Amino acid sequence: MSMEDYDYLFKIVLIGNAGVGKTCLVRRFTQGLFPPGQGATIGVDFMIKTVEIRGVKVKLQIWDTAGQERFRSITQSYYRSANALILTYDITCEDSFRCLPEWLREIEQYANSQVVTILVGNKIDLAEKREVVRQRAEDFAESQSMLYLETSAKESDNVEKLFLDLACELIREAKQNTLDNSDAAAVPGEGKSISYLTCCSLN
Amino acid sequence: MAADNLPSEFDVVILGTGLTESVVAAACSRVGQRVLHVDRRNYYAGNWASFTFNGLLSWIEEYKAQQEATSPEAEPGWRDKLEEGEEALTLNTVDNFISNIEIFCYVSQEDDEEEEEKSEVAPPTSAQSDELEENGTKEITTTMDEALEQQGHEGPEDKETDEACQSPQEEEPPVDHNQSEPTVDVKKKISYAKLLKEGRRFNIDLVSKLMYSRGALVDLLIKSNVSRYAEFKNVNRILTYRNGKVEQVPCSRADVFSSKQLTMVEKRMLMKFLTFCLDFEQHPEEFQECSEQTFWAFLQTKKLTENLQHFIIHSIAMVSSETLTEDGLRATQHFLRCLGRYGNTPFLFPLYGLGEIPQCFCRMCAVFGGIYCLRHSVRCLVIDKEANKCKALIDSRGQRISCSHLVVEEGYVAKEQRKSIVYKQTSRAVLITDRSVLPQESDQQVSLVTIPPLEASGSSVRMVELCSSSMTCMPGTYLVHLTCSSTGTAREDLGPVVSRMFYEPATPGDEPAGDDRTRPTVLWGVYFSMRDTSQMDSSEYHLPSNVHVCTGPDASLGSDYSIKLAESIFQKLLPDEEFCPPAPNPEDIIYDGDGNPGEGAGFEESPKSMGSTIEDECSRSRPEGKTSEQETETKEADTTEE
Repeated sequence: MSMEDYDYLFKIVLIGNAGVGKTCLVRRFTQGLFPPGQGATIGVDFMIKTVEIRGVKVKLQIWDTAGQERFRSITQSYYRSANALILTYDITCEDSFRCLPEWLREIEQYANSQVVTILVGNKIDLAEKREVVRQRAEDFAESQSMLYLETSAKESDNVEKLFLDLACELIREAKQNTLDNSDAAAVPGEGKSISYLTCCSLN
Repeated sequence: MAADNLPSEFDVVILGTGLTESVVAAACSRVGQRVLHVDRRNYYAGNWASFTFNGLLSWIEEYKAQQEATSPEAEPGWRDKLEEGEEALTLNTVDNFISNIEIFCYVSQEDDEEEEEKSEVAPPTSAQSDELEENGTKEITTTMDEALEQQGHEGPEDKETDEACQSPQEEEPPVDHNQSEPTVDVKKKISYAKLLKEGRRFNIDLVSKLMYSRGALVDLLIKSNVSRYAEFKNVNRILTYRNGKVEQVPCSRADVFSSKQLTMVEKRMLMKFLTFCLDFEQHPEEFQECSEQTFWAFLQTKKLTENLQHFIIHSIAMVSSETLTEDGLRATQHFLRCLGRYGNTPFLFPLYGLGEIPQCFCRMCAVFGGIYCLRHSVRCLVIDKEANKCKALIDSRGQRISCSHLVVEEGYVAKEQRKSIVYKQTSRAVLITDRSVLPQESDQQVSLVTIPPLEASGSSVRMVELCSSSMTCMPGTYLVHLTCSSTGTAREDLGPVVSRMFYEPATPGDEPAGDDRTRPTVLWGVYFSMRDTSQMDSSEYHLPSNVHVCTGPDASLGSDYSIKLAESIFQKLLPDEEFCPPAPNPEDIIYDGDGNPGEGAGFEESPKSMGSTIEDECSRSRPEGKTSEQETETKEADTTEE
């Protein structure tokens, strides 16, 4: 595949408590599947989906936590170089909402300061079990200057919108940055992946 | 989430998240072993960790506190978990790998607005930490004043690092990053408050190493596909300190020919010698006569000039004057072979610091099902007395977790299980400075600086200078790591080199004058000693045969030692399995049930629902930078389908 296959590539990282449906969101979006087959995530680092928005091809690389959130042990390196973060909680689980400030602290500490963060309340198909009212979540998101969206991975509600909204926002920011040409000091990602580093030789 | 219980049965349990432990974890998990990987600390990478500036300050405070705290008598809560024929083996609960921590602060801790209150500057105080030996704390009585007098300096240093964190932070205009000339006068001074405020831009490694581009670590990162979790920067300069000056070492062909330090004759001599070293085994007649002699003596027989001998010994082979000829040749050969794989020096450095690397292997382990738990300590190992095997462990919550193999960081081994408690030490210093030791047009350089012993008896010092684009320090500063093998405390070993190469203000905030202006100013520094257990093997411990100790980090520049150790532990555990085969490329994975029904049918038409969020038409211009590079990475990755 040539480099011309897309115009932008963005790394999107999911975080949030165990069991809120992060993997379901990713698999619903990338494969249209629910529930994700058990064990299928073993060995899968991230999922890829290329979307086209108004003629712009955007490749989304979507990273899941690999279960490290279960005991609050996500590696810092997971947050590095993410363009966007999807902070997910379960609207039927008060506890997953109360943990959000802790997650925000991690984001603040390890993620790039320009990262786009979106708060997602998942499982709206279980409306009768809702514990976190929408207004509360919206207020919280606003206070943290995050976007907010409610989704159902199961019913495929808003899942597509979630990723496409993010993609649009990222395109907008990317364009902004190239326009400004702001030499924003040390640009993260000046480093290179190992296979890309060019070769030159003594011999 | 905290109430979640761990499963109680694993194949391999690993204690500690340093490099060797993490590689073993990834390797085991990759071939299908059920792995539990825990660390009692609240951060990854153990002695390999890197910290933000503020994180380092609080780590130091906590580290000192836990060493001074008397360890609570182990409650016998676990006794009832033991069965017939079992006994408990307790672990060391105190981190004492690092000792003699000393902090020096050379920037003003006053807020700029409060300049008039400057008379209240606290008198110099001492903050020296000391290793808690098994028989109690021994006090080092040297105060900072004395220590500084010995250095021929006077200067306060900072004790109340934590209090300072609370000091109000004034808004300062950003430092000028774009300056290429180190015009100290023009530069906005960096205050302590500024360092704290920008603290998260720092990633300060406990261990300072570089990655040889054909070393065991880089090979493993590529082979296993773990390299996709990190990004790297070329080390772009090799420097050396000679006759009171910092000079660039010509090492590549291009460097040699463009070098202004070398005469034409020297250039030819050096190229001829380096070409010989590349395949020296093919020319035994050239060196066999000298095989009993030192490499240094050998260089003299080659009639190389003093200039060239210095470059070769200290900066290319990086060996001591006692190293034998063949070892020196091999070191030179390794250097040359690594040269040119990725850049004009043999080395790479991971963005965000070396502490990222163990975490990358942990991620790989987790992706293949390994379970991670930081802040989790183990009360004791359960030993089957008859078989002399570790069959389980009991964690701090009293849960019994069984395992077939236990892999453990050296520091977790209790003194009762050690045959010797005498250790080699490595002296370390980390400085935040205001400019490079050798400013050039670009201020974004990563440099390795080799410093020969200042006195005949001393040891050579290795220095790595990192710029802000390595994501380890804030713009306008450099992060300098110094390393040498210890003869005294880290301050005693490294202080003389620091005093020579840098300006240490006598009072915080002092401006350099005269000659001092030719050297970078130290803004802040920390010195500490780190235990080097790399020479120890399993015969040094009284432990069951299925308990494997991960020693290290070692004092050398590369990480080959730790990677080879991980591989040998893995082979003991799983002799028939492959070590870290490549993980599949996510783009090559075909899911059962085949994706893309309905929803995945592409998004050719512009989605109406989001029209409002698109302000303007998206251009097809490609954003520069990492996006296309990441693409290349995934493209080039050579992977197999699971």
